[in-house]
Amino acid sequence: MVTVKIDGREVQVEPNSTILQAAEKAGVHIPVLCHHKTLNPFGACRVCLVEVVGNPKLMTACTTPVTDKMEIVTQNEKLQKLRRTVIELLLINHPLDCPVCDKGGDCMLQDLTFEVGLTNVRFDPKPNDTPFDHTNPFIERDIDRCVLCGKCVRICDEVVNIQAISFINRGTETYIGTSFDQPWNCEYCGQCMSVCPVGSLNNRVYLFKNRPWNLEKTESVCGFCSCGCSIIVEHEDNEVYKISEDPDLGVNHGFLCAKGRFGYELINSPEREKTPKIKKSGEFSESSIEEAIEYVAAKIGEIKGKYGADSIGVLVSPRVTNEEAFLAQKFAREVIGSNNVFSFETVNALPEGTYEDVENSDNLIVLNIDVTESNPVLGYAIRRMGRKEETTLSVFYPKVTSLKRVATNFFTGKPSEVYEKIENFINGLKGDGEFKDLADSFKGAKKPVLVYNPYDELDLYYANEIKTLVNNVITVPCRLKNNSQGIVDMGCTPYYKPGYVKTEAQADFRKVLEDGSLRALVILGENPLLHPEYSDLGDILGKLDFLAVTDPFMSEVAELSEVYIPVSLFAEKDGTFTNFEGRVQSLNKTVDNGVISDLEFLALLSARLGVNLPKGIDEVQDLIRKEVPLYNDVDFNGGTVKYPFVLDGAFALKKVSPKGKGKFKVFPGSLRLHSGSFTRRSQDLSRVYAEPAVEINPTDASKLNVGDGDYIILKFEDTTRKFRVAVVKGMPDGVVSLPNDFKETADLFHKGKYLKVDLVKHNG
Amino acid sequence: MKNIFDTIFFTEIFQGLGVTLKHMFKKPVTVRYPYEESPIYKFRGIHYMNVDERGVSKCVGCYLCEKVCPAECIHIETDAGPNGERLVRKFEIDLSRCIYCGFCEEACPKDAIHMSDRYDTVDSTRDNYIINMRYMVENRKNVKGE
Repeated sequence: MVTVKIDGREVQVEPNSTILQAAEKAGVHIPVLCHHKTLNPFGACRVCLVEVVGNPKLMTACTTPVTDKMEIVTQNEKLQKLRRTVIELLLINHPLDCPVCDKGGDCMLQDLTFEVGLTNVRFDPKPNDTPFDHTNPFIERDIDRCVLCGKCVRICDEVVNIQAISFINRGTETYIGTSFDQPWNCEYCGQCMSVCPVGSLNNRVYLFKNRPWNLEKTESVCGFCSCGCSIIVEHEDNEVYKISEDPDLGVNHGFLCAKGRFGYELINSPEREKTPKIKKSGEFSESSIEEAIEYVAAKIGEIKGKYGADSIGVLVSPRVTNEEAFLAQKFAREVIGSNNVFSFETVNALPEGTYEDVENSDNLIVLNIDVTESNPVLGYAIRRMGRKEETTLSVFYPKVTSLKRVATNFFTGKPSEVYEKIENFINGLKGDGEFKDLADSFKGAKKPVLVYNPYDELDLYYANEIKTLVNNVITVPCRLKNNSQGIVDMGCTPYYKPGYVKTEAQADFRKVLEDGSLRALVILGENPLLHPEYSDLGDILGKLDFLAVTDPFMSEVAELSEVYIPVSLFAEKDGTFTNFEGRVQSLNKTVDNGVISDLEFLALLSARLGVNLPKGIDEVQDLIRKEVPLYNDVDFNGGTVKYPFVLDGAFALKKVSPKGKGKFKVFPGSLRLHSGSFTRRSQDLSRVYAEPAVEINPTDASKLNVGDGDYIILKFEDTTRKFRVAVVKGMPDGVVSLPNDFKETADLFHKGKYLKVDLVKHNG
Repeated sequence: MKNIFDTIFFTEIFQGLGVTLKHMFKKPVTVRYPYEESPIYKFRGIHYMNVDERGVSKCVGCYLCEKVCPAECIHIETDAGPNGERLVRKFEIDLSRCIYCGFCEEACPKDAIHMSDRYDTVDSTRDNYIINMRYMVENRKNVKGE
């Protein structure tokens, strides 16, 4: 510890901290413009210049490390004058269009101008006037307003590792741009926009919709993927205007992905239903909530009386909160008295590693998952880990993903070849084979981490192999949806009661539907028709005696239902989500669109059936603490759950055998910005990929004579489908990928995870 | 002595009648409102909107007047236009709430919103008290000196 004196205040800080950090600790304010706490020190703007006693030169507070007994002056006449001049110089070319600039009211340059007391610019102001750049679907760019702080360039490099933008030219001609002024080749994560201190990079989804001072900010948790990012929902009245971030909150250090940052329009979507609907003679007619619940209760009572409790089932989606999932299983097990509570989540793999483990790992393996697409914020952690000199990052995946830039080893190929390489790596762990060196370094690593896909049985088999062969390996199963982990913890599976207590009767969703023992089903938000494994069950679901669906949107399965009840989305309810690390985080209700939550639905329905389940969120949480031993002493604001096992079950080694005949092999890929159900409802995300696209490499594309954005005919067995083409470098020859959770593709992948197809150019 | 003279001859009455007589030849001060408009000077009345050379309102929808309005009677909605420009979707003032303080005029960075000297806000329904952008652009024509 060293002692520093800042403006007369003595403070003790760590030896290598900067003057700015010391000042923060001492409670002294130093103005900054180019500094951001998640980025490395840069020192571009010179606004933070301070005087060090005994040193004739001024020092930048954000880059200068402190020394012992350093005496620092942050405010005096000279520094004031200097800061004022620095801002004055920035304002020469800065257009003063604050009234039309979206950043007005939230702009660091505005604040600094006010802080230093600058009223007019002495020099001849020549505001730039180049047109706006709208080539990026999410980010509006105006290089005139840029102050060249370099935050966007640095965050794109240091955090996202895409390096899409950089400084072009030198001196007064410098601007931020891409090489040769090409369109942005980026992931649309919007990190650059989030750190821009001025209105140079703006959110196009929010563009000109409101002003920062009108917006109320509420902390919550993102409801798209399983990363569990803390977000700040900015809303006025009952409309969400913006999703922003806070570097001090949560696990994501203020980083978000395109889905979380730009996909929120689905909350305000005009497609959302507001009134419950009851189907009478094939036609939906609107009804009140009471009427709909009365109807559901009467039907369930009738079927229970006729066929017994086991003829009724509940299917829970990973989008619901822990509280709702807990009530759903309670509803099934206690109110109805049946063990038929289903979800499509895997129960064999439980969380072990956290973000911290991933970031501090020295040897990490990504096993056959495109993690930067499926769990983007975990992807940032892996990139940060991979960027370090001394670490080894190995990725096994059929196509080259964006981890390529940081990966030490990247193994691509046909899916079967990738599995061969994984097999070889396992052999290496056992002591021989071509991957022996890598396997040895993995075995000898201080903190080896394995990131894998828990939904594929073969991947689970290999993960289990690695786990048994390397004893100190930390596994990270990449679950997909926001509460994929939580609903399993809450016992929404026929195999386990809450807290992984094994059940006796174990029903299988497919089996009970096919043998007709299930007569009535209540679906909470799930859509089996988009799930490759269950996409063929539409006919059976349509013929059930009774089907009730709650969903924020009129989904494909909701159209088959007899009663449809619109429910709230993640920004409209209280509760908790458990992310892929097993971290429980609370979300807060921010807006109200006049629909009930699943929690209220379940409470009202069970009250109708004669059992009073708790309705308030606190009561349900108390009950969870009491009845789910795992959650007993977990902090619901960021505590992690301790799990009884990591990988459990007998995983069979099944060789990859593509179904069908054809020249091209298809594997299920994750399409950028989409994960099937929710994201397609967002108009803004759909601007990038509105429909599932076949990703193909440039050589194959030129052989087929198709280009980016063209249509292609895919022939698989008897089915032919038309898909858009996305030409992607790094896809192996003869291999294409297709997302598997879209309604256009789910039934194709029902036949098998890997397919062989023929591709023909679509004419006209 | 003078007092006696005044008391006997009622001079003050004639003085008073003189003043009355003088005013009979002057222009009348009373305004026959509502048949006539009363002349006003430095008055804050119904708002009007300045226009640019194309005849389009100068307002850019910066929300500053809405923010500064103590009566919260201004409602603005903006959006991005097809070419990414700032578009004022809605600009409404509820005159029944307005206290005519003139803060909006002060806050406007674009010299768009101003207050005219029109004060005839009387109407038969409350809905008519809500004026929009078109009304305010039209109202500019009623401003004297324009």
